Amino acid sequence: MIESKRHRRMIANIGTYVVLVSLSVFCIGPMIWMFLTSLKYEADIVTQTMQYIPSRITFDNYVAIWTQSGFPRLISNSLVVTLLTVTICVVTGTLAAYAFSRFAFRGRDQLMLGYLVVRMFPAVMMIIPLYVVMRGVGLVDSRFGLALAYTSFLLPLFVWMLKGFFDSAPKELESAARIDGSTRLGAMVRIVMPLARNGLVASSVFIAIAAWNEFLFALMLTTGQGSRTWPVGLQLMVGEFQLPWGVLAAGGILSIIPVIVLFAIVQRTMVQGLTAGAVKG
Amino acid sequence: MATLSIKDVRKAYGSVQVLHGIDIELEDGGFLVLLGPSGCGKSILLNMIAGLDDTSGGDILIGGRSVVDLAPKDRNIAMVFQSYALYPTMSVARNIGFGLEMRGVDADKRKRAVEDAARLLQISHLLDRRPANLSGGQRQRVAMGRAIVRDPELFLFDEPLSNLDAKLRVEMRTEIKRLHERLGTSIVYVTHDQIEAMTLGTKVAVMKGGYIQQLADPRTIYERPANMFVASFIGSPAMNFLPGQVVRDADGVRFEASGVSIALLAGNPAEISERPVILGMRPEELKVAARDQASVTGVIDVVEPTGPETMVTVQVGDRSVTARVPPRFAGQRNDAIFLTVDPASINLFDPDTEQRIDI
Repeated sequence: MIESKRHRRMIANIGTYVVLVSLSVFCIGPMIWMFLTSLKYEADIVTQTMQYIPSRITFDNYVAIWTQSGFPRLISNSLVVTLLTVTICVVTGTLAAYAFSRFAFRGRDQLMLGYLVVRMFPAVMMIIPLYVVMRGVGLVDSRFGLALAYTSFLLPLFVWMLKGFFDSAPKELESAARIDGSTRLGAMVRIVMPLARNGLVASSVFIAIAAWNEFLFALMLTTGQGSRTWPVGLQLMVGEFQLPWGVLAAGGILSIIPVIVLFAIVQRTMVQGLTAGAVKG
Repeated sequence: MATLSIKDVRKAYGSVQVLHGIDIELEDGGFLVLLGPSGCGKSILLNMIAGLDDTSGGDILIGGRSVVDLAPKDRNIAMVFQSYALYPTMSVARNIGFGLEMRGVDADKRKRAVEDAARLLQISHLLDRRPANLSGGQRQRVAMGRAIVRDPELFLFDEPLSNLDAKLRVEMRTEIKRLHERLGTSIVYVTHDQIEAMTLGTKVAVMKGGYIQQLADPRTIYERPANMFVASFIGSPAMNFLPGQVVRDADGVRFEASGVSIALLAGNPAEISERPVILGMRPEELKVAARDQASVTGVIDVVEPTGPETMVTVQVGDRSVTARVPPRFAGQRNDAIFLTVDPASINLFDPDTEQRIDI
């Protein structure tokens, strides 16, 4: 009886691992494939028989993309746009989330709902009107304009996430701080923000990654080298008759390095923040 | 000069009126308790004194100065919260000193003030800890330390003891009373616990439904409640109510009900008309007596010895009456029991308005 129970549990465990491992391979496989491709010579990439592990290793692809294609410019554009987006979101979104969390004002619920509704429309629907607006105010093909466009769909997410964290910080703490001599804003900065720090980090990383990887808006709203971001830049390297697989793969690897580094630095805080939000709502 | 004057203060949320014209004066060094069931408006009133809630009308003066347009930080008050509201990211010392820090007091002076307050509250050994590592009683002390270190004009306490266990609550109650006598600063204290109100207050405001039902010293509230709500809210076990009739005979004026006949001490018997009333008697005013002296006659229903005293539930007519008798009470269920009551201790209420009738 006990034997069969243990037997059953082992089968269940094996089943769990099979599912887990195959899903992991499915998710991580392409990235590993991309990494391996980036190390291959052009001749070894397109071959008669599939060559999984490269027989010869070269870093030429990395050198090529960095020196010959204006890739550093793409990366720095992406950095600037991402930083701008995060800054705008943090400054305005924190204040907005705090107001939503603490004040009862006319139209509050409708506004919160409106923020959600914005997220419900697919980006392709918004991009044409947004383009017209951007052209009208002369922000097409500028990094600031692109950051504003990102803010338009990332800010609602940021506000919703952060509001949850603010909600879970007790109101009495601010009351105490206000009696102790703080202003409302001072109480928010001194007392509530340190408490919601994990949430703030998690939400910021979330939108930073989204802004870093965004493709569609960047494609539509940037035309020149001056503001083009890396996803668009990589895509434009795909020529009509020629596909530089190795160089593209190298570009892809270089582009996800900042995300990996960022994630490694903040992952502990971020996971704490995300789970705290999940439990307390 | 009064430390605190509340003048016709009102509060409304939309069309819902939650406080109706509150008037309270608190003398210098007084201890005002706002007492009432939840939802009576006592916490809102406290928050309005603190400036955390806006008033919808009326005026609040602290030390003779109108504060309704001032921010909480400019009202020269300190507050202790039900949840203690200690800043979780700061040490105990910084928690206590935060108010001084915000007011730009220099570090040396601040340190000395924090240490003095900590010594007074016996928490000197906890100054380096975080609030998360303190017990409930210790947190309570830190919260009080944060209030007293500022030396404000007025302390506000919002149900400060309700998160503590029973034993600690009694201890901290004594501590608060000692602190008040030592510092002499005026206090406004919100609670739903009538014992806290009776033991601490120099003045008690019993509130219900946004109105002050009675504002008086604890003794008066206990002995001469203004209406049946106050009478039943204060005292445990609660005051006994018996509906009956005021009747007039040759000897004077009497209260009569089934099994009850009490001569009333009336200041001016001629002015009292025969009418239906409700009699209120405190359980401890009922004393076991001989049959021929009895003014209340009934049958014992339940006998509950608690140690220092015994509670006896007596069936009188179709009503139940509780008497608080000495511990070695010998009566048993279904025995007849005869009780007397001091006529000076009884209260009469109007059955319709439930207000006290003065005789």
